Amino acid sequence: MIKILPVLFALSLSSAAMANTHWNKVEAEARGQTVYFNAWGGGENINAYIDWAAKQAKQKYGVTVKHVKVTDAADVVKRIKTEVEAGRIADGSVDFLWVNGENFKALKQGKLLYGPWAESLPNWSYVDLKKPVQVDFSEPTDGLEMPWGTAQLTFIANQVTVKNPPRSAQALLAFAKANVGQVSYPKPPDFHGTTFIKQLLLELNPDTKILQQPVNSESMTKATASLWAYLDQLHPALWRKGNSFPKSAADMNRMLADGELKLSLTFNPNEAANLIATQQLPKTAYSFGFSKGTIGNVHFLAIPSNAKSKAGAQVFANFLLSPEAQAKKADLKIWGDPSVLAIDKIPAQYRQSMQMTAPGALAEKVPTLAEPHSSWVAAIEAEWLKRYGAK
Amino acid sequence: MNTLSPCKPVRLVSKGSFWLALGLISMVFLPLMPGLYRIGVDFVQASHWLAIWQDSQTKSALIATLTSTIMSGVLALGLALSISTEQYPLKAWQATVKRLPVLLAMPHAAFAIGFAFLFAPAGWLARAITPLAGWNTPPNWLTVQDPYGISLGIALAIKESFFLLWVIMNLLGERYIAQQITVARSMGYQRQQIWRSIILPQIGPRMIWPFMAVLAYSLSVVDMALILGPGTPPTFAVLTWQWLSDTDPQLQAQGNIASVILLITLLALGILLRVSWWLYQRFALNFTGIRQPNRISVMSRLYRLSVWMSFGLMGLIFIWSLAQSWFFPSLWPDALSIEAWMSADFIPFKTSLWLGLSSSFLALVMVLIWLEWGPRHSNAWLYAPLIFPVIPLAAAQYFTLLHLHLDGTAIGLIWSHLLWVLPYILLSLAGAYRQFDPRLMLTAQALGYSRWKTCLYIKWPLLMRPILAATALGFTVSIAQYLPTLFAGAGRYSTVTTEAIALSSSGNRRTMAIQSVLLMVLPFLAFGLAAMVSNWRAKHRRGLR
Repeated sequence: MIKILPVLFALSLSSAAMANTHWNKVEAEARGQTVYFNAWGGGENINAYIDWAAKQAKQKYGVTVKHVKVTDAADVVKRIKTEVEAGRIADGSVDFLWVNGENFKALKQGKLLYGPWAESLPNWSYVDLKKPVQVDFSEPTDGLEMPWGTAQLTFIANQVTVKNPPRSAQALLAFAKANVGQVSYPKPPDFHGTTFIKQLLLELNPDTKILQQPVNSESMTKATASLWAYLDQLHPALWRKGNSFPKSAADMNRMLADGELKLSLTFNPNEAANLIATQQLPKTAYSFGFSKGTIGNVHFLAIPSNAKSKAGAQVFANFLLSPEAQAKKADLKIWGDPSVLAIDKIPAQYRQSMQMTAPGALAEKVPTLAEPHSSWVAAIEAEWLKRYGAK
Repeated sequence: MNTLSPCKPVRLVSKGSFWLALGLISMVFLPLMPGLYRIGVDFVQASHWLAIWQDSQTKSALIATLTSTIMSGVLALGLALSISTEQYPLKAWQATVKRLPVLLAMPHAAFAIGFAFLFAPAGWLARAITPLAGWNTPPNWLTVQDPYGISLGIALAIKESFFLLWVIMNLLGERYIAQQITVARSMGYQRQQIWRSIILPQIGPRMIWPFMAVLAYSLSVVDMALILGPGTPPTFAVLTWQWLSDTDPQLQAQGNIASVILLITLLALGILLRVSWWLYQRFALNFTGIRQPNRISVMSRLYRLSVWMSFGLMGLIFIWSLAQSWFFPSLWPDALSIEAWMSADFIPFKTSLWLGLSSSFLALVMVLIWLEWGPRHSNAWLYAPLIFPVIPLAAAQYFTLLHLHLDGTAIGLIWSHLLWVLPYILLSLAGAYRQFDPRLMLTAQALGYSRWKTCLYIKWPLLMRPILAATALGFTVSIAQYLPTLFAGAGRYSTVTTEAIALSSSGNRRTMAIQSVLLMVLPFLAFGLAAMVSNWRAKHRRGLR
């Protein structure tokens, strides 16, 4: 045993050195490359953050990052697929994209992702492995995507109109019936709308284990029966009697601000604070969650298999994973997106902004529930559209 | 029966110029073929048809689409005709026409955003009524996003009435129509009867294509329908777009077929239009000599109301871009600030500018060559992009660009815009161009000028007003392109339109308003400039006024 220790030591050293030279090569290759970063462009604060990160990447690593603002990641998935089908396997238009859930699954299944690369990034060592950073909607990431931030379904209300918010699915139903026409949710397949439905599903379905498995027609019928019964009761009490739905969660925030709705929802526990600061919500707005917990997940960054600037994308990714970039992202004044790094692993100077709080942000501890397997998304959305999509 | 062309022009066309004209136009249209072929492949598969038939959204979506389309077409025509009947060629007509460029230039997306600002349950109108009604929360109005697409239909009708009025204005450009009205008036006929029996039969046939363009636009509009149309289900065009952008190939095929269904619907509407026109000529024309009195026209009043409302919308958007916090039921923002403007992104503005300028200029050159040297009687198919839903065309273009490795390049992007810019320029210019007195050309050529020089020194300068107006329209069309910019630009070029729509999902009314203001400014500049140059050139030339 004692004899092989030095050998092991030497081995580990050389592998570290190899990793180092590997990364040096990546950095050298990245210099001068242009990375087309396809990311949702609907949030000013997010756009401003990406802009900042792009400037840093240019300055520090000579990588030019261009933010391609997309409305729906599914469009990007489709573009990558079309390109590869058309034979463009090395010269694609997307170098880097913001993705998770069923879009990741579609890319992984279609073998349209480059990698594994994420877990060999130098800054991977800071990542909090206790968070679900290696599973995306029950689908292993296999190092094909890098965790960027965490999210948790959070409800928003106004202190002036709602003193005691509903903290469970049943309480929400009672609340809707008491406030007819003032509760709603975004229409699935909107991301937030689908998440809201999945939240109800998790709470109304006694056997949550089958939700972690791929869906089949039997488990679908069994697990969702109580959900449809619930929605049948809820919809008549909704805004416009459930015949029409808000377009997005952002739309709901606006309707909450105008008093048209009494509740809104978001996937970012800090969003309400941010909206108050930018005067898009009144100062009396606050966040809350369900007492049994709400759905939480991680959002990721991936590199398509036909990306042109793979090295540049990795260098930019590594920067986004650095304590500096993650702390800036967590800053409520900048974006307020919770970090994926472990607070005890990062240098002390970055800890403060990661633990910041502000009026309006989620102040209570809400347990995190795991996402159902990604195959449930399409099944639930299709069934929802069939039942409620045409009124 | 074309009563307006005085005589058949003499044709002295060289073969080379003819092929040049044809070649240029083919460069815009032919590369679409491979992509369209793919749609055709899906079209013949019965299983996809069955899937569309069985989708619970299809029926309601089609109803909403038909309601909004027919409503917008009929209302827009009514508004435009009633105001022309009442005012042409009086002084008031000049004022109406003067306002037109501004109204026409306002992009559809911006108009829809303003319309929602005004009419939504928490909109400005509800806020104005609140003190009287004593509401605490926004009223339960079913104004925007109603399930039948009525608010979408009304908004489209108002917006398209400006386009139709602009078409009418161009058709009335000839002096002898005013003379006909004067003569008929002096014989004791009232305006409405004169229009019914004399003017409409003359301009009617030439309004069919513009009117079809209006119907096609309403039928396949996506951006306005997203803002004002119903959601459960959306209009058929939005549904098509959703299917086409789905990752599931089955749904994509469904989307391909759905776009063909849109086309078939349009053909049916076109037939309906022809039949109505035939019935009109058969039964509504009345030459008994009985002088009929004018009826009170509600429509022309509504038109005036729409005009003021549209200006109001623009003002509202502008105020929103400056508003700090402005929640229901406040009638005015708590504070105004240019802070948001200071941090606004102007790169999309510049992209739109060069893209619009280059595509409209290129298209103009092609159109002039085509009108002068191209075949005279086969223009109809060039208008296909105006009556074909945008979605499959943009997808077909993308297919070609992808194979040529030209997607995401400036050249690819400009080429993709030409497909829509060119027909609009042709549409607005062809009438005036064909009406050009051929004797002037003949005289000039008889004096020894070549065809080319005659065009350069005589014809085109004399047609400067319609040429500039057409170019400005082309520029506006380029600015408004959403799907082609996204497809051909591979998302790399953001214009004011793509930026505004990307940001419209943010729900931040202030940013949305800023983008809408920027979106409005570019076309205003184009039309303003075209009008200024025309007026300046016409200052000492009576014939150009």
